[in-house]
Amino acid sequence: MASLADCTSMPKVLVRASPDLGDSLGVHFGLSTRDSSGALVVGYGYGEWLVLDAPDPVPDVIQRLEATPYDGLRSVIDVTHGHALLRLTGADTADLLSRLCPIDLSDDVTPNGAALRAPVGGLGVALVRDDVDGERSYLLVVDRSYAESLRDMLVDAGHEFGLAVAG
Amino acid sequence: MLISCPLCGPRDATEFRYVDERRQRPDPEQASPQQWRDYLYVRANPSGPARELWLHRSGCRQYLFVDRHTLTNEVQTAALARTEGTR
Repeated sequence: MASLADCTSMPKVLVRASPDLGDSLGVHFGLSTRDSSGALVVGYGYGEWLVLDAPDPVPDVIQRLEATPYDGLRSVIDVTHGHALLRLTGADTADLLSRLCPIDLSDDVTPNGAALRAPVGGLGVALVRDDVDGERSYLLVVDRSYAESLRDMLVDAGHEFGLAVAG
Repeated sequence: MLISCPLCGPRDATEFRYVDERRQRPDPEQASPQQWRDYLYVRANPSGPARELWLHRSGCRQYLFVDRHTLTNEVQTAALARTEGTR
C-alpha cells in the first residue's frame, strides 16, 4: 500500500549561500536533517538549502536562518507558494517511484535522510527520503506549475500499488 | 552514456545538456574581431578526446567540465566548472 498527500501548504524557505554555510546548518547537498526546532533542513543544491516542515511561523524561520553564524553573503526567501510539495508514503513507494525515476532508491544508496535532484517522469524534482514513524516516505518538491503533471504521473504509476490519494 | 557528476554520482546523459567545447574566452580589451568571430562561431569538433562543458540540468544544476571521447562516448572525468575557474 502507498499513499500520496498534497503538502504544498507546508512552509518552505530557500537559503542560498556558499556551500560553507552547510557547516553551520549541519547538512550539505545530498542529505537532510531535522534541526533543533524540528524543521527539516534539506541540502537542496550546491550552496542551496530548503527548510521544510518548520513548526514556527515563516518570519521566525527566516530570522533564525539569517542569524545562523556565517561570514559570507546569503539569501533567505520564503518560497512556500513557489513550489508544490507531495508526500509519498508506504512500503512500496520505492518500487512505485522506480517506474518514473532512474535513481536507485534502495536503502543502500538512498537511505532515510537522503536528498537528491532527479528527473521524475521527466520533470526536475527534488526528492527527499523522510521516513515517518519508520515507514518509508518521500517528499517531492517541484515547481508549482508542474505539480498537477507530477501528481497525475504518480497516480498513474500507483494504480498497481493501490495508491491512495489523500488531499 | 553515464556521466559521473562529482556531486550527484553516476547519472544518465539525458539528465545533462551539452553546452560547448571548453575554450578560453578572449580578453575583451585585446581581442580582434577575427578572434571574437572564432570564439563565437568556430569549433574544433575533434574526433577523439575532447574537453567539454556540460550542464547537469536535471540534477545539481551545476556546470561541469567533462572529458569525453567523441567516438566511443567514454567519459574519463567530470569536474565542477566553478572550482576549476571559467572556461
